[in-house]
Amino acid sequence: MKKNGIKAALTKETPFFMIAPALIWQVLFFCVPFAIIVYLSFVKSSVGLVNPQVSLFYYLSLFDFSYMKIIARSLIFAIANTFFCLMFAYPVAYFLARKIKRFKNVFLFFLILPFWINMLVQIYAWFFILERNGLINTFLLKIGIINSPLHLANNMGTVLFVMIYCYMPFMIMPLYTALEKINERLIESSYDLGANGWQTFKNITLPLSLPGIKTGCFLVFVPSFGEFVIPALMGGSKNMFVGSLITHYFLVAQDANQGAAFTCFSGAILLSVIVLGNWYFSKKINVVRG
Amino acid sequence: MEQAKTFFSRYFFPFMVLSLFLFLYIPIVVLIVFSFNDNPYTYQWSGFTLQWYHELFASVEIWDALKNSLIVAASSVFLSTIMGVLLVFYSAHTFFNKAFVLFYGNLVMPEIVLAVGMLSAFSFFAIPLGLTTLIAGHTLLGLGYVVPMVRARFIDLDVRYAEASLDLGATQGQTLRKIILPLLSPALFAAALLVFIVSLDDFVISFFCAGASTQTLPMYIFSMIRSGASPVVSALSTVLLVASSLLVLIFSSLQIKKTDVL
Repeated sequence: MKKNGIKAALTKETPFFMIAPALIWQVLFFCVPFAIIVYLSFVKSSVGLVNPQVSLFYYLSLFDFSYMKIIARSLIFAIANTFFCLMFAYPVAYFLARKIKRFKNVFLFFLILPFWINMLVQIYAWFFILERNGLINTFLLKIGIINSPLHLANNMGTVLFVMIYCYMPFMIMPLYTALEKINERLIESSYDLGANGWQTFKNITLPLSLPGIKTGCFLVFVPSFGEFVIPALMGGSKNMFVGSLITHYFLVAQDANQGAAFTCFSGAILLSVIVLGNWYFSKKINVVRG
Repeated sequence: MEQAKTFFSRYFFPFMVLSLFLFLYIPIVVLIVFSFNDNPYTYQWSGFTLQWYHELFASVEIWDALKNSLIVAASSVFLSTIMGVLLVFYSAHTFFNKAFVLFYGNLVMPEIVLAVGMLSAFSFFAIPLGLTTLIAGHTLLGLGYVVPMVRARFIDLDVRYAEASLDLGATQGQTLRKIILPLLSPALFAAALLVFIVSLDDFVISFFCAGASTQTLPMYIFSMIRSGASPVVSALSTVLLVASSLLVLIFSSLQIKKTDVL
């Protein structure tokens, strides 16, 4: 066989067999499951392929106040979580990326560390502080501010609080990376041209860190919308979230069809929020790039 | 301007940094301290003990869960790195050179959707849940990390290395083994480590795809917390914390970040 360059060599048949395993894996465990979820959500009778009837039954039954409340709750918690993470993480990331000179690596190490700690361990750690006999209650009882233990664990506020705790590192790292990349000269020239600290931040630093804000918000928002571990462990079981309802349908109620319809529906809502957010950020970032 | 700057850099920023570090570390420190607490029932301190660590290392259930976790993590690292590298190398310059886009979905989708999808597929085709299905799920997640990371490094490589190798008569397989793999090895090692940790830490996919008889370490921790935690979980958490810190040391020396993928 004659070889004439990389193109000819690569268009032989071997490449196909070499990339096949990954593609097959992806199709088998990503595309097929996805198709099955969509299929289940549209088909009545769960007896596999026997006598399937196409129907919108499961979607129509979702138009109920209680489902809407669950989706709204998850959405609000995810947005609140993203917002608080951003508000808290930005100043810290800014300070570490642009202001600090000494011990930078030590600070960074301790910021990255929680990233690699198992989320369950992180959640578990809060029990010691928030429980009925936990540190806060013990402390407050001792100094006499309260007479009976506060119910700190097992409420909605705690769920949000622990969510902020667990997702904070996902916000900090992209912000830090984006802020560190900003060229110092841009900031210096802003000062030289007479802008004050706030103007420089608003017109130079903030716009240039938008890609980091975008990545951070995305990394926090998407998983917290589907979160079910934190509510399951921290929220008692009074209030359902999207993740907990999906889990309930598939593992407890064994109602895969209704669960599939709910998964598709809330997935569509998540997707539309992502598209909206993406559009908003792209518009802003494009303004910056000119 | 000077005034604003001094106020912010003197008080506001240090205050934020300090409170963030306190927020991040108070629970962790408390957890570590209480894993040595003699009193198993309340959060009152009543003396130092190593009892929970003895129980931890004596527990058959935990060793079993750890074994499962390690088997799944090692297999998914093995499978996802090999398949990922082959995909990245052989799809370049062919009809499939955009195939990598497919794999972004694995990370972009909420994990619970992936997990529920796989669970439905397994029960649809009546595949029994167990270690195999767990490995399948974790390998899928792993591909989501390996493909973008390895590809990012691969497209940075000078294409002339591969061309020279092919011109000099090497086959594609030889080029991959002798030229490309050594050049890719930093990214490959990073991706493998990352997939290993992600797999060890993963709870959601394991929870759905493991079935009733198989348990991984995070699943064990979850069920223990749910059924009223025993101090053994604190000891286990402390051990995991130490392991994580060691890994972070390796990682920060390699300059790897979890968010590099996106």
